Amino acid sequence: MKGIWHYMERDLVKWARGRVAVITLLVMPAAWLIFVGLALPVRFTGNYLDFITPGILVMTMLASSLQGGSLLMFDKILGFLNKFLALPSPRENILFGKILFITIRGVIQATVILLIAILIGATILSPLQYGMIYVILILFGILFSGLATTLALYIDDHDSYAAVNTLISMPLFFMSSALMPYSVMPSWMRSIAMVNPLSFAIDAIRSVGLGEVPLMQMGLLFVTGGLVLIVCVQVFRNMTV
Amino acid sequence: MTAIETHDLTKYYGDLCAVDHLSLSVDNEIFALLGPNGSGKTTTVLMLTTLLRPTEGTATVCGYDCATEGDMVRKKLSYVPQDMAVDIRLTGRENVVFFAKLYGVADPRAQADEALAIMELADRADDLVKTYSGGMRRRLELAQALVHEPAVLFLDEPTLGLDVAARKKIWEHIRKLRSRGMTVFVTTHYMDEADRFCDRVAIISRGSIMAIGKPKTLKAQLMKDVITATISGEFIPFELGSIRFLGRKEDDVSFTAENGREALPLIAEALVARGMKVHSLSLHEPTLDDVFLNVVGSSDEPRSFNDQQFRVMLRRRK
Repeated sequence: MKGIWHYMERDLVKWARGRVAVITLLVMPAAWLIFVGLALPVRFTGNYLDFITPGILVMTMLASSLQGGSLLMFDKILGFLNKFLALPSPRENILFGKILFITIRGVIQATVILLIAILIGATILSPLQYGMIYVILILFGILFSGLATTLALYIDDHDSYAAVNTLISMPLFFMSSALMPYSVMPSWMRSIAMVNPLSFAIDAIRSVGLGEVPLMQMGLLFVTGGLVLIVCVQVFRNMTV
Repeated sequence: MTAIETHDLTKYYGDLCAVDHLSLSVDNEIFALLGPNGSGKTTTVLMLTTLLRPTEGTATVCGYDCATEGDMVRKKLSYVPQDMAVDIRLTGRENVVFFAKLYGVADPRAQADEALAIMELADRADDLVKTYSGGMRRRLELAQALVHEPAVLFLDEPTLGLDVAARKKIWEHIRKLRSRGMTVFVTTHYMDEADRFCDRVAIISRGSIMAIGKPKTLKAQLMKDVITATISGEFIPFELGSIRFLGRKEDDVSFTAENGREALPLIAEALVARGMKVHSLSLHEPTLDDVFLNVVGSSDEPRSFNDQQFRVMLRRRK
């Protein structure tokens, strides 16, 4: 267990010292929030900012998680992974340390986005509601950082990784309930959005905002996240003898 | 208990045999695996450090089986790969403390300080590794490796890419570790370094050991002098009385003789008589390079097994 913490600590310190990377990942979601959230003329709701904020929070987690896979890829290419694998600390700790760091980083970034949203006029919720939102974001973060690290085990160069990253994140975002409610979607899009894990998280956060407890969606995220972790560990074990 | 033992250790990558029935016993010494790129050195180290599963055969480190008792093996060893993987955004101390914690040593800070001091990095310990030279980064890796006082230290090409002074320093440090009772297993393709600093060497070519022993003993298997001629023209190997042909390395052909001074003119004449042009002749005492030429025949890199291909395979590691 301690090993997970030490691996996480290494990535956290490295990330905090690379000042540019801390900012850049935030630019996209912040731009969406401000330019789309405040400017888009929509008719289905009176407060579009409140509608879009859950989508942008999840988008922040998604971008951070998918980008996080490249950390493991670089460790692999640069020879760190081989050094770590020769250590007596249980090998799975390398994987869990990465997933923990990526999720923590996503949560920090989502917090910044949440603060910006409140600053430009999103409705303020109760502490309990924020607590639930964080639980949802963490479950979502574990799901996608697990997915990203699994991909990173297969991919050996940075360009391919970036391409796969875009290939996953763009359609996933647009084919979700992030930008519009199911009621205004074309039917083909609705059927995709309903099974998109992004929608699970977004819908869950919206229900929290309405004062509900979205046990169903949280359960779904928990189960898919668990499955991804199992697959991830299995792939990792197969790859490392 | 013997530090490292292998029996018929073999690794195939598909049809390609990278290591071929290797049997070794290494204990309480600096042992070097010598050979050109792609001769199977790194594959051997990867198997011994539990990073790669052998196709056949067994290997033990401090009595623990590398294939089945990986956890125990990893407690006993330290491994420094050739990639120079240190975190440049962390300080030297942070790099070492991180490893100390992962090794689970009792007092990570104190142990890290000690390791840094041994590697003469104490005064730069709080600088970011970004500002370190290549030689310092290598020493930092050594500090990381010895922070848990391993019984066996595996170093893969420890002096690759360093300048002469930095190399000498690395080797001096390796000798120091040896005197503290560590068994050091090195791979290198620098014959002269192995000759000067290692207790015992094994020359490996295409996955098989061609010669093994003390550098001095290996060199003594040749005659007293080695004559090298730089030639142009078609060369056909020949022997000349007691003068023996050793091997060819590009345009250099080498011979060994009991009395080099007398052999020099004989060789020159023989070469010219066979239609070659002799550009220069030199006479020296046998080196490990000559031993290598003698047992392998030529020191050309094997074409069918290039380094790039090998690295790609390593990454796939199936």
